[in-house]
Amino acid sequence: MLINAVIIVLREVLEASLIMSLFLAYSQHVTVSRLWLLLGIVLGGLFAWAYAAHISTFSNWFDGVGQEVINAGLQLAIYFILLGFITQALIGVSKPIQRITLISLMVLGIVLASIREGTEIVLFITGFSAAPDLLQAVLIGSSIGAGIGMSVGVCIYYLLVTMTFKNSVRLGYVLTLLIAAAMISQVVQQLIQADWIISQYPLWDTSNWINERSLVGQLLYALIGYEATPTPIQVSAYFSAIAMIVFVSFYQLSRHTK
Amino acid sequence: MNIKLLPIITILILSSISLTLNAAPLFEINIQNHLFYPDELVIPADTKVKLVINNKDDSAEEFESYELNREKVIPGHSSGVIFIGPLPAGSYPFFGEFFPKTAQGKIIVK
Repeated sequence: MLINAVIIVLREVLEASLIMSLFLAYSQHVTVSRLWLLLGIVLGGLFAWAYAAHISTFSNWFDGVGQEVINAGLQLAIYFILLGFITQALIGVSKPIQRITLISLMVLGIVLASIREGTEIVLFITGFSAAPDLLQAVLIGSSIGAGIGMSVGVCIYYLLVTMTFKNSVRLGYVLTLLIAAAMISQVVQQLIQADWIISQYPLWDTSNWINERSLVGQLLYALIGYEATPTPIQVSAYFSAIAMIVFVSFYQLSRHTK
Repeated sequence: MNIKLLPIITILILSSISLTLNAAPLFEINIQNHLFYPDELVIPADTKVKLVINNKDDSAEEFESYELNREKVIPGHSSGVIFIGPLPAGSYPFFGEFFPKTAQGKIIVK
């Protein structure tokens, strides 16, 4: 039970932790206060709790696929927040309005990521309240999982803040781009499961090389949205998501360097 | 690089979304005492099916399958809907992520 709890919580925490490390590192570089993070986590945690408490109601929305539609909505919103964040980060935050925009985007991003990932943790742990003999192992396992997930974020954070600003923005840009594209891949996955997007045969199968169950597979899933058997729509949405961010970045840069 | 391409990309993404309204055959799986009933479900090949999972336990369970690319939390004492397929013939294992020691099963596509 303990190991299982470690894996479940780690998987959920990893994604939110990666996004947080990117936001924090940029805030550190441009000396934006990092108190917003706390606000985002607390708000997100409260919403996740409320959502988990009423999950049965939400699940019944849209003929029983409410969960998928809400998850897809959250992830689509996170994608656009990352898009806004990365373009703002490229331009810089010299004006007060730019700082406010950046902080708002980051708070909202953390709230949404915490809801998305926190709900499952809440549902998992509260399920054991009826089994006190297992609860302790689950809580210990969950703490270890959360710890490992946060450690990965801390490593990436320190990697980014110890670099020069220019290099940090470059690496941060690539990481944000990949995480954002992973969000879109998950949006498509959720909507296929809900039957809102047609299901297709996978374009390829790389499960013999990197299994999604493996540690590498899980890490790649969080970082680049790795999927061993993606459908053609999923793959094209993934690359369109990357293309859109690159286009917007170039547009914003050209507008601001004129 | 042109911002005018944005709407085109957006339309491309949106146009791939289609509401498929044809009724899919219905199959049910129950979860009880962290076990799946049935733990082997046979479904037709190359057909989209609607899978209803009824969780009769107090605790939530997460239906998960890497082979099917599906994962969904089913809260205690409630049901969840998952669409699967069309799939080629084969065996597709699934498990309950919250209680993987006991909650194991597979979908046989023929």
